[in-house]
Amino acid sequence: MNNNDKEIILEGKHIWKKFGTIQALKDVSFKLNRKEVLGLVGDNGAGKSTLVKIITGIYPPDKGEIYFEGKKVRFSSPLEARRAGIETVYQDLALVDLMNIYRNFFLGREITKGKGPIKFLDIKKMREECMKAFSQLGIGIRSPDEIVSFLSGGEKQSISIGRSIYFGVKVLILDEPTMALSVKESRKVLELVEKIKQQGLSVIFITHNIYHVYSIADRFMILNRGIKLGEFYKKDVTPEDISEIIASGEIPEELKDKMIV
Amino acid sequence: MISGEFDLSVGSMYAFSAYVVGVLSNRGMPSLYALMLTLGFAVIIGVINGLFTTKFRIPSFITTLGMMLFLRGILYAVTGGSSVSYLGDSFIVITLGQKFQSDGILGYFRPSHFWYIGLLIIFSIILTRTAYGNHVFAVGGKEEAARAMGVNVRKIKLINFIICSVLAAFSGAIVLSRLLIISPVVGEGMELEAIAAAVIGGVSLRGGYGTIFGTFFGVILIAMVRNGLLLAGAPPYWYSAFVGIILLIATLLNVKVLKRE
Repeated sequence: MNNNDKEIILEGKHIWKKFGTIQALKDVSFKLNRKEVLGLVGDNGAGKSTLVKIITGIYPPDKGEIYFEGKKVRFSSPLEARRAGIETVYQDLALVDLMNIYRNFFLGREITKGKGPIKFLDIKKMREECMKAFSQLGIGIRSPDEIVSFLSGGEKQSISIGRSIYFGVKVLILDEPTMALSVKESRKVLELVEKIKQQGLSVIFITHNIYHVYSIADRFMILNRGIKLGEFYKKDVTPEDISEIIASGEIPEELKDKMIV
Repeated sequence: MISGEFDLSVGSMYAFSAYVVGVLSNRGMPSLYALMLTLGFAVIIGVINGLFTTKFRIPSFITTLGMMLFLRGILYAVTGGSSVSYLGDSFIVITLGQKFQSDGILGYFRPSHFWYIGLLIIFSIILTRTAYGNHVFAVGGKEEAARAMGVNVRKIKLINFIICSVLAAFSGAIVLSRLLIISPVVGEGMELEAIAAAVIGGVSLRGGYGTIFGTFFGVILIAMVRNGLLLAGAPPYWYSAFVGIILLIATLLNVKVLKRE
């Protein structure tokens, strides 16, 4: 396989998870390479969100192991996962609407100056740094002083992503990032994902709309009712094929030999 | 209030601490020590308020209402409803409440004015120029987001309850050193006046928004209504009716302004 020349950054092995009587994940394994966008697709209730919640430590798995940069990990909270370099950007973003951009950007990790017990915010530096981070990623923000609630959904999404990258995230997980966005805004977010991949990051892009992720993903992993149906490289499948697999819950015969084993 | 909580016990704390400072000083304790001891006691009350609210997840409206009734009840029970005169040493009288001995303009002022302005400036700087201040806004604006970004929500709220309680106790000591007599009914209804002043000054009842200087103007406005009515010879019973009208108008303006933004 041409997989050998790539470096695996994140790997899950035989993950099981049960909620009450519902088997949410059944023996799911996955790999994520450096500088790769993995499209995690499947219908609602397929187990996509459960899988990422297990990766970032919101739930513990019943069985199975997760390896990050070659080491076995088990995060106990999303905060711990973030400190290690894995972060999920959710729909209901971790931004405080009533606060301005730079205060949100550095929330919990403020830049301060001064000696002794009382340290003051270095507001000038925070404003500059966050504008610098945005311009490097081509995120068009007018002013770091703008209040977040006046921004569009796509802009908020971009700010969250930009923040993760500034603070050194290695694996970015995007949970339905384009769901509530207009076509134009979706495209901007997709361009941003493309750009961060070029910078060497790995992205897991969760969606149930294959057309959103097809253009930027390198590989697809399809879940159905907690079971991994299969994985494909983009060159081997069309978006229609994947739509069909998601809808029918089965892999057609002619695609079976193209599956990644 | 900016961090999303109320403290209804400030009025009772104010009367209670005035009483404690008075009684301790009357028994011969140096008034500085009496003041320190009382402020220490206020810290404990703040911690109790804070722990009930953050740890047991009881709304602060209820916990501090309980504390308000508790402190006031103790005060009534101990005093039997009668006033206590201050007979202690002159330290707190000179440093807090008594007018400056001067023929010039300084003679119009009391040390408490400078304490007030000083604390106003200090806390305003803390709120707008430190990481802690940033966290206060975030916790009140969107608690989940603050927590997700690694802000210790409980700690921030606990600190705020302590600050609130200590400052209420400090004002109690000031009123004692000025009037030299303390009645157990003093400060009744003051907790609601405090909330009214903050709201008139632009603080959001839902948290996450507001300034200390805004509240300062709210306080000044309420005090002006009180004095104005008195000077105009109106019966003092009209006072709360006026404050009520101002509160309603201020809230209406706040909502309008926020919507237009």
